[in-house]
Amino acid sequence: MNPQSDQGTTRRDFLKAAGLGAAGMSLAGGLVSTGFGSRLFAPAARAATTTLALAATDGYITVPGRENDPLYIFGFIPVSPSATVASLISTYKGHAQHTAPTFSFKQWDDVKITLTNLGLVQRPDLTDSHTIHWHGFDMPSPLNDGVPEVSVAVPIAKQLTYFYRPHREGTYMYHCHFEDVEHVQIGMTGIVFVRPLQDGTSIGGFTKFAYNDGDGSTGYHRHFAILLNEIWSNFHDGDRDIQETIGSDYDPQWFTMNGRSYPQTLLPNDSSTLPAGMRIGTPNPNYGDAVDYSQPNSSLVQVNPGDRVLLRLANLGYQQHSMQMPGIPLHVIGQDASLLRDGAVDTSFWTNTLYIGPGEARDVLFEAPAYSDALPHFTHPGRGEYNVYSFKNRDWRRLSNNGAPGAGGMMTEVRVYQTPLPPQNVVSETYV
Amino acid sequence: MNRTRRLGWLLALGTVAALLAQVPAGALPPGSPKVGLVCTPGTVSGSTHSFNLVANAGHIQTPDGNHILMWSYAVAAAADPTDLWPNFQSPGPVLCVKEGETVQIQLHNNLPEPTSIVFPGQDAPVTAIGGSPGLFTNEAAGSNDVTYTFTAAKPGTYLYESGSNVSKQVEMGLYGALIIRPSAGNNLAYGATTPFDPSREFMLLLAEIDPDLHHAVETGGTYDFTKLHNHYFTINGRSFPDTLQDNGSDLLPSQPYGALVRIPAHIVQPALIRMLNAGTDNHPFHPHGNHTREIAQDGRLLLSPGGARASSERFGETIGSGQTKDYLLRWDDQDNFNPISKPFPVAQPNYRNLTFKDGLTWYSGSPYLGYKGTLPTGTTSLNICGEWYFPFHSHALNEFTNFDEPFGGMATLLRVDPQGGCFTFPSSTTILANGGTLRSGTYTYLGLDDSLYYRVNSTTTGTTRTASWYGQFSTIPNGAKNLVVTYKGRNCGTGTATACPATTSKPTTVSIWNWATSAWVTLAGPTPVGTTDVTFGPIAVTGSPTATSWANYIGTGTNRGRVRVRVFTTGTTSFVSGGNLMQLVYDAP
Repeated sequence: MNPQSDQGTTRRDFLKAAGLGAAGMSLAGGLVSTGFGSRLFAPAARAATTTLALAATDGYITVPGRENDPLYIFGFIPVSPSATVASLISTYKGHAQHTAPTFSFKQWDDVKITLTNLGLVQRPDLTDSHTIHWHGFDMPSPLNDGVPEVSVAVPIAKQLTYFYRPHREGTYMYHCHFEDVEHVQIGMTGIVFVRPLQDGTSIGGFTKFAYNDGDGSTGYHRHFAILLNEIWSNFHDGDRDIQETIGSDYDPQWFTMNGRSYPQTLLPNDSSTLPAGMRIGTPNPNYGDAVDYSQPNSSLVQVNPGDRVLLRLANLGYQQHSMQMPGIPLHVIGQDASLLRDGAVDTSFWTNTLYIGPGEARDVLFEAPAYSDALPHFTHPGRGEYNVYSFKNRDWRRLSNNGAPGAGGMMTEVRVYQTPLPPQNVVSETYV
Repeated sequence: MNRTRRLGWLLALGTVAALLAQVPAGALPPGSPKVGLVCTPGTVSGSTHSFNLVANAGHIQTPDGNHILMWSYAVAAAADPTDLWPNFQSPGPVLCVKEGETVQIQLHNNLPEPTSIVFPGQDAPVTAIGGSPGLFTNEAAGSNDVTYTFTAAKPGTYLYESGSNVSKQVEMGLYGALIIRPSAGNNLAYGATTPFDPSREFMLLLAEIDPDLHHAVETGGTYDFTKLHNHYFTINGRSFPDTLQDNGSDLLPSQPYGALVRIPAHIVQPALIRMLNAGTDNHPFHPHGNHTREIAQDGRLLLSPGGARASSERFGETIGSGQTKDYLLRWDDQDNFNPISKPFPVAQPNYRNLTFKDGLTWYSGSPYLGYKGTLPTGTTSLNICGEWYFPFHSHALNEFTNFDEPFGGMATLLRVDPQGGCFTFPSSTTILANGGTLRSGTYTYLGLDDSLYYRVNSTTTGTTRTASWYGQFSTIPNGAKNLVVTYKGRNCGTGTATACPATTSKPTTVSIWNWATSAWVTLAGPTPVGTTDVTFGPIAVTGSPTATSWANYIGTGTNRGRVRVRVFTTGTTSFVSGGNLMQLVYDAP
């Protein structure tokens, strides 16, 4: 088996295994909206337990401008829960990816995630442990919160199974919390979201919802998960070269969405079936520069005219970001896994500029406009014409790759297709 | 990367009880709580509330061993020669006043340049007497005074800070919190719609420090404010883990305010967290473990146009430079996992596969609230009785540092206490002289109300047969309060035909050992106890010698941390004393 071309399951398969697309369950328990946000009381049946696994190790990615000088990272890799530690180490050690896989769970599903620490190839002297911190989760114990100083951490060649029972639907994020000033910046970050129990019922023409809104107001046709980050190469190079880096000197040079900087953000989700030109291959010095495809997550948003689109946004950078989608207004309906509603008061808001600080999450709806030949349009071979809108950082300093001329950084495209695309199967699905 | 920790790291929360809890003279009012908001009383005369403040220079300490010059407000008082840092505190004193009061603040300036106070958010005019007009308000030159007067018109959380040479003076530390309580009651944040538990009120005042600028001020050097580069990040004037030390900690004489947030699980009214940002940067603050509910911003309740509450829940909220935000916090736990009736659906992790970072942890060894488990030898636990700890910290993780050391800076912990206090069970049993002999069982049988009994045969001769034994609780912390004892047991006949042969009921007394007087103090009984379990308690142990001190019941020296509860039963025929459950509940310090 060639580990570089197929890092375990492909991303789409992985998301399907995570329970996405499961048929909706009956809502015999009913929906109650209380002053503390909507809560579901006594659902009819507890859904099955979802069992997943992640491996933590080091690796390399490519940032634009350093194609010949891969950037050192730590990362989480999706792996099989039944694999032994020895086989995980021999298959995946040194092949980290960034960002970590997007997790999708159903409200009230039990979740078990086994984390295996594979160790670091580039730094055999560094015996760091790793953890999983599900950021924002209402925890029933510190044990699974992933903060080493108040619970436990997973050392090299060991495993721990984390347990979660998500009560609150919405968008969250997850990251390693072991020496997190370092481990978060150096790549151990991902998005996780919880689908509401309301999913599968039909309200207002929608069967998929961001929250148990009771009235369909958070219904969507397609959803996309985008994790914002920055990259401060000094920290990454320092870790690679056993040099100390002063965290309070933080000064990033690259700005990413799902681990990629524009124009990488426009490439589709990675797959071994893609032509090389549509993949981000990074020579991995851990293995004699054999190519890893270590940035698998796209941020390209492809939609049909009239689609109601949900953006699940999370920020695990250390900077505040102000995002815009010129030409399309944004309806912020949720934040921090909370429906923007207090009792009967609707606190959702419309905006053209979305602020999101570090550690925060936002659920944003927008309506894809009608296709128009009068607007700039481009041809997607085999799929016809599409209009382009951008989703980008308002701070133009974050639209550059290490200050190089030209567009870069925290920007992606929203493409509205004249000929409708097929329905979406998984979050952030891309169409080649 | 592994980092060495300075000694200060080890002097963190769990061992605070062993440290002097005395409040340094001139720092905090007597009777101030060790955790939570500390108000400066000032002087109240009719409807006027006045404070006498000074602006002083002093030094603060950072956990990585640094020593930084700060300028700050303090309460003007006679200097105490035993206090190394007289009349200095960082941040400035928390001023708590009541809605409608006339607030009068006299400021005496001990700094080498003119200074002043401005009150952002006070819409009513602030009049100033004395000093000379500055850019924003009257300011007092060095060694001079100025007095400010205004009406505390609206309840809320506000900052006060210097209005003179602000780029330098506010950076140097001239800021503090002003709390205006609604006239409707001290248990309301803003009014009837925002009740909170007044014993759970917390302040988190955020700021940053550029040590180079402070050094330049200290040495008379030059500095460029546009090159501000912060390396220290504070909550209530301290960086983590100093944020966990008590209010008025002797270790931090010029930084009197701690930032630990401590609530019981299932708190009835929510805790109130008042956040203020006195710094130049916006700070994204992240509570672990539960959502907080943001109810107000800049001293104004978040309301719909119709006046209905429009709060929102957060697990990450950026508080902007100069802003204040108020949050309610309740520990919501829909699962209530416990080891007896609802254990976690996954096996407990094996320590062979885990590490405790740096051999130091706040973990109790058990994931269940109120329970302590075992930890590997050599691991120091700061956990007292199975309470939970969750970090509250800036998620701009470059601020989660003390200069170059991670896990520091703008962070504190949330401590969730078990409902009803810490509970514990005996770790040994002893049968007293002339108190009978062991029949069966060990101390572990006293840990659960079940079918297992710790059983003691009474004496078998004489007109009075006696069973007298005690369960010993250990590691009860110095300063534990509100001891509550529960005992459940029965008396059985001496036969072996059944588990509990019939016998007449016998008088049973439950007592607690007073180490100071070397005597057993009766808690309950004598009560007739037969073959059916009788429950004694929960019995509140009265504090001795004062109502708030239970120290005489907690052993010291070789008996450190020990509490003994005796079960004493007599009868005219031989019998078996059977203990089912013996429990001690207490509030940890």
